[in-house]
Amino acid sequence: MSKRSIIGVFDDESRVVSAIKKLKENKVKINDVYGPFASHDILSLVTKPSRLPHLAFIFGAGAAISTFLFVYYTSVINYPLSYGGKPTFSFPPMVVIIYLITILGTATLSVFAFLGRTATYPGKKAKMPGIGAMDDKFFVVIDQKNAVADVESLMRNNGAIEIRYEEF
Amino acid sequence: MIRSHFKGVLVEGNKTYAEVTRDIALPTETKPSRWWYAAMTLATLALLAGAWALYHTFAYGLGTWGINNTVAWGWDIINFVWWIGIGHAGTAFTIFLLIFRQKWASSINRTAEAMTVFAVICAALFPLLHMGRPWLAFYIIPYPNSRGPLWLNFNSPLFWDVLAISTYLLMSITLWYFGMIPDLATIRDRSKNKFKKTIYGIFAMGWSGSAIQYNRYEALNKILGGLAAPLVISVHSIVALDFAVSVIPGWHTTIFPPYFFVGAIFSGFAMVLTIMIMLRKVLKIKDFVTDKHLEFIARVLQFGSLIIGSSYLMEIFIAWYSGVEYEAFTFLHVRASGKFSPDFWIMVLCNAIMPQFFWFKKFRKSLFWLFIISIMVNIGMWFERFVIIVSSLSQDFLPANWATYKPTLVDIGLYVGTFGLFMAGMLMFIRFIPIIAINEVKGISKLGYKKNKE
Repeated sequence: MSKRSIIGVFDDESRVVSAIKKLKENKVKINDVYGPFASHDILSLVTKPSRLPHLAFIFGAGAAISTFLFVYYTSVINYPLSYGGKPTFSFPPMVVIIYLITILGTATLSVFAFLGRTATYPGKKAKMPGIGAMDDKFFVVIDQKNAVADVESLMRNNGAIEIRYEEF
Repeated sequence: MIRSHFKGVLVEGNKTYAEVTRDIALPTETKPSRWWYAAMTLATLALLAGAWALYHTFAYGLGTWGINNTVAWGWDIINFVWWIGIGHAGTAFTIFLLIFRQKWASSINRTAEAMTVFAVICAALFPLLHMGRPWLAFYIIPYPNSRGPLWLNFNSPLFWDVLAISTYLLMSITLWYFGMIPDLATIRDRSKNKFKKTIYGIFAMGWSGSAIQYNRYEALNKILGGLAAPLVISVHSIVALDFAVSVIPGWHTTIFPPYFFVGAIFSGFAMVLTIMIMLRKVLKIKDFVTDKHLEFIARVLQFGSLIIGSSYLMEIFIAWYSGVEYEAFTFLHVRASGKFSPDFWIMVLCNAIMPQFFWFKKFRKSLFWLFIISIMVNIGMWFERFVIIVSSLSQDFLPANWATYKPTLVDIGLYVGTFGLFMAGMLMFIRFIPIIAINEVKGISKLGYKKNKE
């Protein structure tokens, strides 16, 4: 859904960071910032820490437990086979399998969780505020309703090269 | 956490973001040069040789290989272990240098990861063919079947290996692909050709560069990286267990997992060095992969070589000190002196001695020596696997069973074929994908310059 937005265009990382800081001081809510790389200064100002790691931990624990149950079921209950008189339930070799499947399961499920949460899929059309976000420009997008202060001059004074008012 | 205090610049030329994009995207936007076609022709010829060998293997069976009853593992397993070793460089580059906060890795990790993917594919081919009936390969996957249901032997390192290699291949592809999504979006936005735009657009999955997206993306990358670090250690350790869990003299040693792991990182870094020197020459990326980068890789090689060298010494020492005469026989009379001594000493020279020249700055700075020594390490690591596998098998407990091993033309053809596959893959990679992580390099391109301005 497009909203009436104010978009500030910048061409330097440090200028965007100082502009965002100024905007936040003036209690302006920033919708999103578009840029060519993951700048940690920008991310820490604009976003909250992702909860994906917590989810990954749950995936990992689930994968570990279900792998253990699977190997236990196959080698002890369903088809116990004696390899040279060794016990059918032997934990040490299971460790290797649990270890690997935990990694595989966690990675796969985390990837799908990421794709689901960001609603990303092959062939999705990119919604971008302008040309150059993946090249050398930074775009600060603010909802016009949230522009409680003089957003335009705040951004201009901190090095915005262009301010646009448009539907985004 | 370890912090590296890096002085100086990581990207030369104080480039703007636009210049970084332009320079790295250039090979994907221009027609490939003559050397690319020449290399592709070579790769195709090698692939044809591989196809011929593959045909012979399928049509006449494993009898066309040099393996026999005594030496049942030959070039197939040697090449498998060798390729897997090379395949360790990519993840090692990305993960371990990330953990150690080594920002210089940003310029190289994309290529190293591509190398990993193609090398692991090459490696996986060998055990698959060694099964004899590769079309029944799905038997090694544990699924409810009509054969009992007969499950796999979960206590066998060979099964762990199947799991490890397939997990590693999947993880490497995921890490590689997810690492390049923002760069694919960059190429998508730059391309004027509609067809190209659509293709890159499909693979870029609607990437827009928004901070919210980057935030989750970074979280995902950290998870994948954190999982890949223990994985990369386990993969080659498990390959080592294939040997160490058996009772063959020369294999049955506890030092094998760490020794194989370091060997893998060592050979992987050597291959990275070989390839980076060549790519730097032809692709004009000297500003991103500077002499300093190559020097750093050389230092890693030198360090790896010290560990490898001490492992060789330790193996021989334990063979004598343990008092097990079979071990002592294998190490002292088969390897160090005897039938396999030339191979053994080539291995020692290439892996333990030559990289020690990197103590001297002159060698670390000289492209010629960097190239020569990196090639020697690759050869040396191949001989290491040859010595371990063939020498132990050909002369084991029973002298009546002793046999020699000679590879056949089919063996050689398959090996050449995997080279073709690897080369073709790498050439397609440098043609269509930005070989340096554009988005990561933009984050470090200003390092060193900002300070001067302030």
